[in-house]
Amino acid sequence: MKNIHASGHVRGQSVFLDDLPVHEGTLYAAVFGSPVAHGRITGADLERARALPGVVAVFSHEDIPGKNQIGGNIRDEPLLAERELHYIGQPVFLIVAEDEWTARRARLLAGLQYEALPAITDVEEAWGREQFLFPPRTFRLGSVDEAWEHCVYHFEGEAETGAQEHLYLEPQASYAFPAPHGGMKICSSAQGPAEVQHVAARVLGLPVHRIEVEATQLGGAFGGKEGQATAWACLAALAAWRLQRPVKLVLPRQDDMRMTGKRLPCRARFRIGLSRALKILTYEATFLLDGGAAAGLSPGILERALFHATNSYYIPNVRATAFCCRTNLPPNTAFRGFGAPQAMFALEAAIARAAYELGIPARRIQEANLLKEGDEFPYGQRARQAHARQCWARAEADFDIRKKEKEVEAFNHQNASTKKGLAMMPVCFGISFTKTSMNQASALLHIYQDGSVGLSSGAVEMGQGVSTKLAQLAAMALGVQAERIRVETTDTARVANSSPTAASSGADLNGKAVQHACAQLRRRLLETAASILRAPLAEVDLHAEQVWRNGRPTALSWEKLAPEALQRRVNLSAQGYYATPLICFDREKEKGHPFAYYVYGTAAVTMAVDCIRGTYATEEVCIIHDFGDSLNPDIDQGQVEGGVVQGIGWMTSEEVGCSPDGRLLADSLSTYKIPDIYAAPDVIDCRPLGAEGPGMAALRSKAVGEPPLMYGIAAYFALIQAIRAFNPHYRPGFRAPMTPEKVLMALYQDENAAAL
Amino acid sequence: MKNPSEEQSSMQEKKGVSRRAFLRGAGLTTAGTVALSAGLLSFKLEDAKAPPAILGPGEAEVRFVVNGQARTIWVEPRTTLAEALREHLSLTGAKVVCDRGSCSACTVWVDGKPVNSCITLAVDVSGREVTTIEGLAQGDELHPVQEAFIEHDASMCGFCTPGMVMSCAALLKRNPNPGLEDVKLATSGNLCRCGTYPKVFEATLAAAKKMKK
Ligand code: FES
Ligand code: FES
Repeated sequence: MKNIHASGHVRGQSVFLDDLPVHEGTLYAAVFGSPVAHGRITGADLERARALPGVVAVFSHEDIPGKNQIGGNIRDEPLLAERELHYIGQPVFLIVAEDEWTARRARLLAGLQYEALPAITDVEEAWGREQFLFPPRTFRLGSVDEAWEHCVYHFEGEAETGAQEHLYLEPQASYAFPAPHGGMKICSSAQGPAEVQHVAARVLGLPVHRIEVEATQLGGAFGGKEGQATAWACLAALAAWRLQRPVKLVLPRQDDMRMTGKRLPCRARFRIGLSRALKILTYEATFLLDGGAAAGLSPGILERALFHATNSYYIPNVRATAFCCRTNLPPNTAFRGFGAPQAMFALEAAIARAAYELGIPARRIQEANLLKEGDEFPYGQRARQAHARQCWARAEADFDIRKKEKEVEAFNHQNASTKKGLAMMPVCFGISFTKTSMNQASALLHIYQDGSVGLSSGAVEMGQGVSTKLAQLAAMALGVQAERIRVETTDTARVANSSPTAASSGADLNGKAVQHACAQLRRRLLETAASILRAPLAEVDLHAEQVWRNGRPTALSWEKLAPEALQRRVNLSAQGYYATPLICFDREKEKGHPFAYYVYGTAAVTMAVDCIRGTYATEEVCIIHDFGDSLNPDIDQGQVEGGVVQGIGWMTSEEVGCSPDGRLLADSLSTYKIPDIYAAPDVIDCRPLGAEGPGMAALRSKAVGEPPLMYGIAAYFALIQAIRAFNPHYRPGFRAPMTPEKVLMALYQDENAAAL
Repeated sequence: MKNPSEEQSSMQEKKGVSRRAFLRGAGLTTAGTVALSAGLLSFKLEDAKAPPAILGPGEAEVRFVVNGQARTIWVEPRTTLAEALREHLSLTGAKVVCDRGSCSACTVWVDGKPVNSCITLAVDVSGREVTTIEGLAQGDELHPVQEAFIEHDASMCGFCTPGMVMSCAALLKRNPNPGLEDVKLATSGNLCRCGTYPKVFEATLAAAKKMKK
């Protein structure tokens, strides 16, 4: 089935937040952000801004009726700065005017006096000064030190990955208006409307039920609108509440890029020990994650980094420790993969280091250590339906990796100024929110008297196709065509307390809730049909828009059944609920069974480097991916392709950079390079593994959002291979992204240069 | 100490000033500058209509044809075509993503050629014909590129899609026989964060085939 939004998209009729019809009397807001990375506020001069014609109000923290606090579990983030400034761009004032232009002009007239304090922008420095956002954690299995003694090969090193800007094309946006009976309605481009609702209530000092939050559809999010949508929604709501007028706040791109956090950069130190047979016997890693100025979602991100420290491999002795450091940068946050890509990169770097020093292909170490059925992860869960080896073997066979390697070798032999590299990347990604309590969802279905169906759930559509999948699930369960199902916007007044649409779990959790609601409706309708037909319940069935009796269609169509049921006073609405069974995790012991299941896959990426210019191209990406029984192969394929491209971007061209005084250097699309059409791979050949999916996935169709991003990691190692083919002196520093500038330097690095 | 927010301000002020100063320049230069910054084949110097008088302060009149309909709007001279379409005419199909000509999400046609509407001033399209994504279909009948985008799943979140479709449809208008490289060139300015590129190629090539039939 095609994406149900496709027709709106191609006609330009899809309604994103900034496309909503504007209410009479709407005001526009602009955010005045801190000009300094660390400082103490000593005074403000807002008179000039207030005096500008068209300016309606300038708000500061003093105008907040409730609590000036938007933090999650760790309450360390004010909505508007009070005394201290912690990063450049931190919201300090909110300026509200009759139009956007005036609000932004007034912002230029607002003044802030402050005393600058020393800023920390380097994670190492933060770590040295023990600036942690919350305590570090360690996962352990076996005995690392003892095993180290038994290893034949020992390697140590470092690896580093940079920040990644989400660059959702639709910016952060919110629109708040006073609602009847003392309420407040907020439209927000949020992945988690319930979280926005909850925090907005705290900020306005209102009970949660007086706030309604609606997300229509998002123009991309990728994790960047999970914790990070809250501030903008609360700011719009604050102004709307104080002024009792509609207020809209859409971040201009530059504000968005300056004020919002990115993927957490990570520095890792590793130690890896192998047996003669290339078994990894021991692995120790310390991760320094840069959380920026506030904790936000970082506790979960740190946790997932630890969960995936061993990726798709079985390693009997592991010690992985992660610190989340506080720096004077915008609070970093969720981004597709949620900490896992950072950890997986470190392990691949360790494997690559070992391979280079041993003079063997990394592939041999990778393959020798893949997970098998029943293997234990460092956190105690065992791999079930472990498809790591099947994916690898299928990739080797289907894509004839040996032959590809030979071709790359021959090519490099024949070409002096262009070199190629090929690298493989196995992925194992756990599905479920690592915080067990978040693994629940509900849905609300109404069948109307003409037989049309309205479906609401907690899932937010952001391009991942969840609405289409939910419509499919409902249609299958009710026995009607998907066209009958209208998937409504996500609204807290219809579906309450929902978890954010994140962790790749949107379709699983909400899908199961939809199925639960449909099962109730179906049962009621079958009973109604049985009574209309005067048939025993066991003889009636409902599918293809029709009631069937003993396998034969009856005259009772869906369109007749619905109004008839209503006449007979049958409840045509149902609420469905789902909580993932079996999962648990003990944070004291750092052991448990946190994941419903795992998604596996293997990718092989071929890169070609122009050794004169340092530029490169992704020639080919070959993937075997474990979709389970894909509910919608077209959508899932798109998710894989999109994920890989984002992963490749993270590894290659996407560099945020920051000046020593804490200013983000890439703050526009002309300075931050996401893959464009030329950077996208020429070929993405993704094939399904074809193994049966797990019962914990909706209709056994596995979650698909995040895992493919990590295939992109192979692009880094393929580049290194190509560079090594040109320059045998090159010593890789395992620091991503590998921008063309860095590649060029690496190509001509001499023997004595520092690793790069 | 010095107040850095002022520094920030003056930098941004300058941007505003330069836009206004640029307006006061000769009409020919204005049109020429648009052509350069839009980086597209849209305006040629000789295309330029009579040079606009000095505009502003206050609103200026823009009469143009939008999706086949004559429209007259009054806008501040600084208003971009994207703003004029979205805010004055409620045509919200074209999206503003970067607002400075780096992503092509705001692509519309001016006299049949694609331009970035975020870096085209509304006053510069006076007397011209603008086609937006909303005007591409003939009523219920979709343009072949639109059909192919649906058929080949070439949209995910859909935010880049209107711009992509306009770029691809413009390509097929000037080159009914494009190859992969032509499609890449035509969409080289269009960014998609969801990663629809491979499907965009497929869809556009398929649409070209279909249009030839
Ligand atoms: S919004 Fe116009 S090019 Fe990006
Ligand atoms: S479909 Fe989302 S940006 Fe292209």
